[in-house]
Parts: sequence; C-alpha cells; structure tokens
Amino acid sequence: MRRTSVIVVIGVLALALAVVAPPWPRTPAPRAQGVDVYINVTGGGAKKLNIAVPEFTVIAGTDTAGLGKLLASVAGNDLTFSGLFSVVAGTGAIPPNSPDARGQLWSEFAAAGAHAALHGLLALRGDRLETEMRLYDLTTPEHRLIAAKKFEGATAQPRRLAHKIADQVVLQFTGELGIADTKIAYVQGPAGAKEVWMSDYDGVNPAPATRNGSINLMPVWSPDGRSLAITSFMQGYPDLYRIFPFERRPVQTLASFVGINSSPAWSPDGRYLALTLSKDGNPEIYVLAVATGTLRRLTRHAGIDTEPTWSPTGQQIAFVSDRNGQPHIHVMDPDGANIREITSGGFHTQPRWSPKGDTIVYTQRQGTHDLWAVSPDGSNPRRLTAGPGDNQGAGWAPNARHLAFQSNRLGRWQLFAMLFDGSPPTQISQGVEDRTSPSWSPRLP
Amino acid sequence: MGTRGLHLAVISLLLLGVMVAGCAKRPATTAASGAGRSAPAPSGSPAAGAPGSSSASNPSGAPRPVPSEFVAVRDLQDIHFDFDRYDIRPDDAKMLDANAAWLKANADRLVLIEGHCDQRGTNEYNLALGERRAKSTMNYLVSQGVQANRITIISYGEERPLCTEQSETCWAQNRRAHFLVKSR
Repeated sequence: MRRTSVIVVIGVLALALAVVAPPWPRTPAPRAQGVDVYINVTGGGAKKLNIAVPEFTVIAGTDTAGLGKLLASVAGNDLTFSGLFSVVAGTGAIPPNSPDARGQLWSEFAAAGAHAALHGLLALRGDRLETEMRLYDLTTPEHRLIAAKKFEGATAQPRRLAHKIADQVVLQFTGELGIADTKIAYVQGPAGAKEVWMSDYDGVNPAPATRNGSINLMPVWSPDGRSLAITSFMQGYPDLYRIFPFERRPVQTLASFVGINSSPAWSPDGRYLALTLSKDGNPEIYVLAVATGTLRRLTRHAGIDTEPTWSPTGQQIAFVSDRNGQPHIHVMDPDGANIREITSGGFHTQPRWSPKGDTIVYTQRQGTHDLWAVSPDGSNPRRLTAGPGDNQGAGWAPNARHLAFQSNRLGRWQLFAMLFDGSPPTQISQGVEDRTSPSWSPRLP
Repeated sequence: MGTRGLHLAVISLLLLGVMVAGCAKRPATTAASGAGRSAPAPSGSPAAGAPGSSSASNPSGAPRPVPSEFVAVRDLQDIHFDFDRYDIRPDDAKMLDANAAWLKANADRLVLIEGHCDQRGTNEYNLALGERRAKSTMNYLVSQGVQANRITIISYGEERPLCTEQSETCWAQNRRAHFLVKSR
C-alpha cells in the first residue's frame, strides 16, 4: 500500500517536472517584477497528467438542461485539447455537501490512475450561472485541495464557464492560462460570396460577423480581442475595415486607397496596423497609426511585398517578398530598414510570427501546400504538416503552442487545430461550405 | 518518512506553479491595453482614401468608379499569365494590341482591368499578384497609346475564378486579366 503510493508519487513528480520544467536546472526565486514563464511543453509526445472530471454538482436551482454533465464534458474536452492532460474515464456524481462521497470517488479515480481531479459546484440562479471549480491532488492521501476559484456567467453561455474553468486548471499546472476561452474568426462561403464568421475555439457556436453579400477576407483579431480587421469588397474594391463583432457599432474604414488595401497585421500594442497598399504603384508594406491615420511606407521595391506580421516585441516585421524571384519570407525593422531574406529555395507565403517570438510559421508550396516553421534568423526550417491535401493559412493561438489552419484533406476546406509539435490535427469546423483563413483570438476579456 | 518528503516535494512544485502563475498574468494585462478605447469614432475613417494621400495611380484624387457599372464587351479579350508571373506573354501582347486599338477607336469608354489568379497559392499573396497582373496589363495598354486616366484596375486575387476544377487547364483559364467598359 505504502509502496504503491510512493510509486504513484514518484510518477507524478516526474510528470509535474515534465509539465512545468523550465529550461534552467533550478527554479529561480520569483522576482518582484513579473517574471517571464518559459514552459518548455509542447504536449503530444510529452507525458500527460491524468485528471478526473466528474459531473459538476448542482448546489442551487434545478438543472433541467443537464448543465452539470455539460460543463464537466466541455472542461474535459478542453483539457484533452490542451495536450497536457489525459481525462480519466469514469462515472460517478458527488451529491452536495458530501465530503465522504467525494473522498470515495477520488479514491476510485486515484486507483484508476488519476493524479488530479477537477470538480465543479454549480448554482443556477435564473439567467446567471455561478460555478466554483476545485482542483484536487489525488496523489496525497488526504486528496489535498490545490486550488479553488469562482466564476460567474450567463446561463445562456454555459460552455464559456467550462472553458474558463479549464483555462484555470491549465494555469495551475503550467503557470499560463489555457486558451479554451477564445474565439476563432474565419472566412466562410463559396467563391465570390465569402463572409467572415466566428466560433468558439472548438468550432461550437458559429455566427456570422459580416453579412454584406460581398467578398470578405482575411480577418485578423485586434490584440484587445474586441475587433477584427478585414479586407472586404463591400464598396467594390479591396479595402480594409474594422468590425466590432461583440458590439453594436458600425463598420470602420481603415484604408480605402486606390489599389489593394489588404493583409492587416496589428502591432502587439494595438496602436498600429502593418498592411499592404498598392496606391503608389505596386504592393508595398505600410504602417498605419490607427488613432491618427498617419501612414508610413516601409518597403520600396518593384516586386510584390505583402503579408506583414509583427514580432511580439514589435521590434521586427516579417513579410513576403518576391524581390529575389519566388516569394520568400523576409524580416525587417519596424521602420523598413535592415531587410533580410530568411527563407529560400521554394514558394513561401503566409508568415505568422509566434506570440512567444521564437518561431515564424509559413506556408510552403511544393505541388501542394504545407505548413513550415523557421526561426526568425532563418535557421532551422522544418516541416509541420505533410499532407494530406493542402494545409495552409495558419493562425497562432495566444499560448504559442496551438495553431489553427485550413486544410482540404477531406475535400472542402475546413478548419483544423494542432499542437505546434505536429501532433495529429483536430477538425474544428463542420459543414458543406468552405471555411478558410482562421484567426485565433487573444484570451477574451 | 520518504513518502512524506515526496509529498512535500509535490506540494512545493504545485505551489511553485501557483506562484509562477501569479506573475505570468502581468504581461497579459499590459498587452490588453490596446487600441480599442483610443480608436477613432466610427465616422472618423482616418485613412479612408484621404484625397491627396492617394498619389501615383490616382493623381487627381478623383473618386474611384463603381466596378459594378462596367460591362464586358465581345471586342476586348482576356489575356492569360503563367503561374506566379505577371509579365505579358508574346501571344497575349498581340491580343492587347487589338484591345488597345479598340479602346483608341472607342475613346468614350472607360476601362476596368480585373487581375485574377488561380486558386493555388494563398489568397493574400494572390491579391497582390492579381494587382500586378492588372498593372502590367494597364502599363502595356498605356504604352500602346491608351490614356492612363481612362483605365482603372482592380485585383480579385483568387476570389472570382472562372472555373473551380483542380486541373492545369482550369487554373490556366483563371490566371487572367479581364476587361470591362463603361461610357464616360
């Protein structure tokens, strides 16, 4: 008995280290100022923490809609998606105010291999839902309570509470919030009639964000998660607009110069947009100060310069240029100086700088399209997908561990998500129409 | 004894996780203080085609013509492009010569040149590529004596394909410059 628990604890210790292990051998003392957390977890190949997520316990109100089951299921799926956890199969409900029943269930889950347990308490109060999440360490004989936190939300959006709870669990184990409480914006519709849509990160709750019957392309979330920059033909030409999908607020025109107005990329502080304009003769990259409309031209070349993407520090901009022949990824300073080519020998577009800064993902065309990654200095180019079909249009999740992308591996374009390490993707959109150009929102306010 | 020690180790690890987490939140909040509130009012439209700032291809700063007012005419033929290219092929130059002659003979017409791409490649890049195709086509017509102020260009990238099959024949049809006209 004692021996077993020792083995379990050693196992958990190893797992905990695998999950939170920073690159330095000893954890430094936390500084007064915020410390950057460098978690070297990519999931997939890494060992996972086994977690039990039984049905949430309703402590007030009548759960006619089965929210206790729903929230546990959604949170469990979120934890699985994170790549850090394995949800331990098992059933069982904990009646309100029954610590003995809870202890009994935790013992059973521990025997089934669970290292931790997530339990939610749920109070239904009309149009409001209150939950309290509790996280237990099942490797301790007393099933120690690791964390407890209350969340409140609209009864009409129960899944969002489950996402917040799952994100909190990820925070407890990795030092960084999860990404379940996020949205994905994308383009949906046939050629010539594309609208911008958005859904929860898991594809649930799809809803249109534009409905103008025109061609709407390339949605990009602003860093505050309140708006999207899009390219739209709603006034006849490819112009750049800003829409506010959560507010009753009119569309704002960002750029409608002669020629193309496209490829918006928000600076990390949200004050600037890098974009492509052809008003001066051919596609060049400019930076627009959003508040004042001041425009600054960054590139001057007869070739195509497009698709800017900012480094998370705002100190560099990567972009696509065919100035040396085929389109390749280039990097420059934010004033347009110091341009250098970082990829070569192929057809490379769609650079997307990782929110953690150390990687740029791009699309390589070689017959079909696949996602590749390269370090910002041009070293270590490596393939992330290898078919089937085309895999392109990547968008980083705010944790810099997950990517959304579009693939026609099953026929029509659909959205998929995968861990950056190349684990098998999960399909996140369903339906008969093409879905393309995913943009992953920041963590929502 | 040993068990107890390991338990403590696990607890301290978990505590560490919590402490690190507390610090980790900080960068997120600074990043969130973004453009939103300082953004201009919806009517502001700061950069929206401000006259004077649109130079080169629209020297007069005149309003852009409405694309839906242009119609196709049998006399103006599409030209086509090689994959990822925007230079005019010799055979297509002959067709452009004919198009230029017709435009010079019908001086009351304005022309809209649409640049298109096949659906391979990526749509951001193709929007730029379609622009270059329309632009080289326009430059050729101007070199043949068509007045530049009669010509408007627009890129649809890969968004308006003529056909949607996955074949080189179909892709080749989609890589085109298309001509529409309207009376002045």
